[in-house]
Amino acid sequence: MSKIMEWVDARLPVTELLKSQATEYPTPKNLNYWWNFGSLALLVLIIMIATGLFLAMHYKADANQSFDVVEHIMRDVNYGWLLRYAHANGASFFFMVVYVHILRGMYYGSYRQPREILWWFGIIIFFMMMGTAFMGYVLPWGQMSYWGAAVITNLMSAIPVIGEDLVVWIWGGFSVGDPTLNRFFALHFLLPLVIFGVVILHLWALHAVHSNNPDGIDLHDAKDSIPFHPYYTIKDFYGYGIFMIIFCIFVFYAPNFFLEPDNYIPANPMQTPAHIVPEWYFLPFYAILRSIDFLGSFSKLAGVLAMVGAIMILFVLPFLDRSPVRSFRYRPLSKQLFWIFVVDCIVLGWVGYNPADATIFNGALPLIIIGRTCTAIYFGYFFLLWAITALDIEKHQPVPKSI
Amino acid sequence: MVTESDESRRDFLTLATGAVGAAGVAGAAWPFVKSWSPSADVLSQATTEVDVSGLAPGQMITVPWQGKPVFVLRRTPAQIEAARKADNEALPDPAKDADRAKKPEYLVLLALCTHLGCVPQPIGTGNFGGFLCPCHGSHYDTSGRIRQGPAPKNLPVPHYEFKDEKTLVIGKV
Amino acid sequence: MNCQEVIKFRSVVKRVSRMVRSAAVLLVAAASLTAAVPGDAQASSGAAVPPKQPWSFLGVFGQFDQAALKRGAQVAVQSCLTCHSIKYIKFDQLRQLGFSELEVKAMAEGTGRTKKDPLTSSMDPTAAKESFGVVPPDLSLITKARKGYEDYVYGILVGYASDSDLALANRVMADGKIGAEEAKEVASALLLDGHYPDKMAETLKRMIGGENFNRYFPGNFFAMPQPLMDGAVAYTDGTENSKVQLARDVVTFLAWAAEPTQMERKSLGIKVILYLVVLTIMLYAVKRRIWAKVH
Repeated sequence: MSKIMEWVDARLPVTELLKSQATEYPTPKNLNYWWNFGSLALLVLIIMIATGLFLAMHYKADANQSFDVVEHIMRDVNYGWLLRYAHANGASFFFMVVYVHILRGMYYGSYRQPREILWWFGIIIFFMMMGTAFMGYVLPWGQMSYWGAAVITNLMSAIPVIGEDLVVWIWGGFSVGDPTLNRFFALHFLLPLVIFGVVILHLWALHAVHSNNPDGIDLHDAKDSIPFHPYYTIKDFYGYGIFMIIFCIFVFYAPNFFLEPDNYIPANPMQTPAHIVPEWYFLPFYAILRSIDFLGSFSKLAGVLAMVGAIMILFVLPFLDRSPVRSFRYRPLSKQLFWIFVVDCIVLGWVGYNPADATIFNGALPLIIIGRTCTAIYFGYFFLLWAITALDIEKHQPVPKSI
Repeated sequence: MVTESDESRRDFLTLATGAVGAAGVAGAAWPFVKSWSPSADVLSQATTEVDVSGLAPGQMITVPWQGKPVFVLRRTPAQIEAARKADNEALPDPAKDADRAKKPEYLVLLALCTHLGCVPQPIGTGNFGGFLCPCHGSHYDTSGRIRQGPAPKNLPVPHYEFKDEKTLVIGKV
Repeated sequence: MNCQEVIKFRSVVKRVSRMVRSAAVLLVAAASLTAAVPGDAQASSGAAVPPKQPWSFLGVFGQFDQAALKRGAQVAVQSCLTCHSIKYIKFDQLRQLGFSELEVKAMAEGTGRTKKDPLTSSMDPTAAKESFGVVPPDLSLITKARKGYEDYVYGILVGYASDSDLALANRVMADGKIGAEEAKEVASALLLDGHYPDKMAETLKRMIGGENFNRYFPGNFFAMPQPLMDGAVAYTDGTENSKVQLARDVVTFLAWAAEPTQMERKSLGIKVILYLVVLTIMLYAVKRRIWAKVH
């Protein structure tokens, strides 16, 4: 056995790689369970690629056939229902896991120097996930697929001068149709593999600068760290167990919980469903898009810019936060802002779920007002985080010297 | 303090957990593997039912079975007689007519020439009153046996059963 | 517990209580928001939400009532198929519900088809559009394709105006207007919003005029005339063939037709989850032992 490994190592240093990246890779010993979500995201990505690959072996991208083919998978293909439900629910769980992963990074200052590039790779992954999820949702060619595709592609028409032509180019026709479905399928197949590549870059960047930790301090002392394997491999596996239980409860017993009933109606270009909503993971951004409605003819473009800006602003977050301390654990004001931000995102999601003209308190308060306020709070978070740290308003608590 | 019994217990626990986990991964692979097997709609095409009550002696129909053509021939007494006579001749692929037709009256053949897969011409063609493959000139007799030409084997007889007097079921359920 | 453990325990308690507190804040915020919402889109469009029914096939251990499935298939074939298709189900598949091959053949031939054909309607879609204004939708996925699922489909089937509802409408509208007391009576009988008497009068007028009123359909007026009546289908197993029973049976059948693999899914699910629980407990034990060395 060791002879074989010697032979291999002389040509490809596998043992050395495992040593430096796992069995001797130093990891902070105080990582809490919020640090499990990164490896959970990798698990979901693998589940998505595996189920997606096998679904693609049965699927046909064709406006006249796709709806029937999905039902063929559900009814006729052996375990086709399992592949499809795991894939459809996997998308929701992917976003859940990634949202927690992003918020964990925001709370413990994992985006701070020297982890900016690591953070950017993460945002790129998130952005590509959104594109992949959107195009995947079009493939069953139900009513929500069709109208979701119509609404989202129409966003491009907000771009001045070239917008209208651009939309026709994306559609490959004068409306969402067969050519659109075909190219979305091709991209939906390709993008996850690109994501996988960026995940490797993300991990490379991580291993170059090492993990942040709940205290947000640099590791000085060998006593602060433990090898990744076996400590964090087993902790990640334990997390996988918990995750799979929850995931399987949905796949086997509430598989349609995240799906809209309207998507079991075949796409009909002649009739829009009464109430169209994007998937839950897009709702906060959808609410931001709709909240800009007070700028007249400029509203459409501004809404699109605000929505894209809501993600793009994450790129500059490392430079907005000027605090000498990374972790919000020792930053009382930032901590409060953070929780306001979390609640704000949930409220935005709820606003996005409801019809644009909905009201509460018997018509006294239009939801659009709440939407605008929450959009302001969303961007306000980034501004205030800059303000309290750059202007030295926040007085941080004492930070421990070592873990 | 870590005692020796603790150590061995941990080894056992770790091994057992690893084994259970590996079994789970193997189990999870099963649905993926199984998804390649013929699906329910394909399986429902595994058999073809043919109503043979309308066939006159000497009449032949071609029916699709699992995407392939099958000849169903109601033979005349003369055709049966010719087939039986040839039983004792030197055949390239020896077979008794009685083994090829469950009911002498009905001949059921997978109509793909054993040479290169062309569909032979209907009954009454070729030098033996049976079937002539037009592609390379293979002559089959009234039992579907190869008699002359490049084909190496007789036309295969698919699995079939008579469900009742008039219903022929081709293929296995 | 030694001193170090006490400190560790305290910090865990503190962390847990902090997490509980923030979770509570989030929950209260979310709850106060949802409480403020007047209801979902359906309620605001003027139709009542159909009440939940105790379907035997729901839940982790739910199973189909086999007798109801067979009766429901009979109702679907004899009644629904007149106008609607159930194209993802083939006659042959009905054997899974306990019909014999001969029974299936008879059912298929009764509608002019063979047993390998799907359950399609013999009605021409263009003709249907002419007489009803819409093409009757395929019913294969109907219990998954509507908010409220099987409860909604059942609600629609039993939600039409009865003779007594019509009598009430005639009585109330005899003088051409609706009084406050009458509004209350109509609201509770037809599940309409009592706050808008004008809208209610309009509804009653159309109902008296012969339009298809349905209390559970958003907008209240439905293209489909009442499809099931008492005794519309003759049962052979001695079950009473009331409208309500026919509706219950056919919805059970449609719930099966929407996903024939659902029982396979549920029975596999129990095994998978039990396995995962065992594996996770083992992983936790291993994790505890490995981490025991870290101070």
